[in-house]
Amino acid sequence: MNMDKQTKKRGTQALGETHVSAANVMVTPNAQVRFWIITILLVLLGLATLKLR
Amino acid sequence: MLLALAQWLAQDVRFFSVFNYITLRTVFAAMTALGISFLVGPKMIRKLTTYKIGQSVRSDGPQTHLVKAGTPTMGGALILISIAITTLLWGDLRNQYVWVALLATLGFGVIGWVDDYRKVVHRNPKGLSAKAKMFWQSIIALAIGFYLWSSASLPAHTELIVPFLKFLVFPLPAVLFITLTYFVIVGSSNAVNLTDGLDGLAIMPTVLVSGALALFAYVAGNAVFSKYLGIPYIPGAGELAVFCGAISGAGLAFLWFNAYPAEVFMGDVGALALGAAIGTVAVIVRQELVLLIMGGVFVVEAVSVMIQVASYKLTGKRVFRMAPLHHHYELKGWKETQVVVRFWIITILLVLLGLATLKLR
Repeated sequence: MNMDKQTKKRGTQALGETHVSAANVMVTPNAQVRFWIITILLVLLGLATLKLR
Repeated sequence: MLLALAQWLAQDVRFFSVFNYITLRTVFAAMTALGISFLVGPKMIRKLTTYKIGQSVRSDGPQTHLVKAGTPTMGGALILISIAITTLLWGDLRNQYVWVALLATLGFGVIGWVDDYRKVVHRNPKGLSAKAKMFWQSIIALAIGFYLWSSASLPAHTELIVPFLKFLVFPLPAVLFITLTYFVIVGSSNAVNLTDGLDGLAIMPTVLVSGALALFAYVAGNAVFSKYLGIPYIPGAGELAVFCGAISGAGLAFLWFNAYPAEVFMGDVGALALGAAIGTVAVIVRQELVLLIMGGVFVVEAVSVMIQVASYKLTGKRVFRMAPLHHHYELKGWKETQVVVRFWIITILLVLLGLATLKLR
């Protein structure tokens, strides 16, 4: 979500959440692995819908 | 504890009987361990930094590792706290296997903690002597072996199962069973410890292997599934799925902080305990040889050290540029993150191969 056009200011430091994280504090591999972990959790949540209904 | 509470509440409100399902409690255990580690992790890292509990780096190791000096260590305590609280919350505390696995994990954790504490706080580079470490590891592993043997009520509890070969089963006498248990637990513990040399290298394979062992435990504890898949039925072993779920959850959360560049290392307190945990579960569900396949990365790392030492003592020559194996690849020019992710990929393949033994037999 970058608000360049309306406010002339950037909502985030760079487009793509991965670049935001990298630009903020995280070194790239750190950001990558954390995004993988989030994906694993989301996949598990998706699989849980098989049972939890 | 929550299971007992849910069972009591289920007498009046039927909804609470849903907590009797092992699958549901395994998912909740993973989520609880994950949540505890995420909540406590940052505070613990700050405390470790404040008290200057930092890792010392071998001067004879790869030069690229010198920048890691001072990174907080003993983060494995975070994993152990999460696993213990979660297992006590979601596990069936009347189940003997839950206690065996938990006490083995904490017992090896204490050995690792003493070693780390002496190295980091007392600035004693030797830590706990190798002899003392091996002595206490042996005591715990032999005690587990003896207990499992004496409590076995079915022949299946003490048989050695050969993967892929349905009818090849070896009934083990007491001495062989206890010896096998000893080597699996102590070997697994030390192999994970040797693997723990790069950021995230040990924890992700541990998460993957414990996730697969959760499935093996669930199947082994279920009379219908175990009969269908032709693996030994171990009544009560299903409850270990909850314990394995806790390991996976706590491990995944730890990886968040341990990913390159690591904010914290697990130290011996984590590595020895996690290795013992997966070894103990593998022994209980009778899948020692499958653990050898799924934990192939741990095995190869440990074997590389043995080969290096034996070769140097016998011939004066080194087989690898440096042991354990991950350092060999680093010195060959692979980046640390490349070694780590490639070893993870190998573990994923080995875990899938291990899971295939459920059906291919």
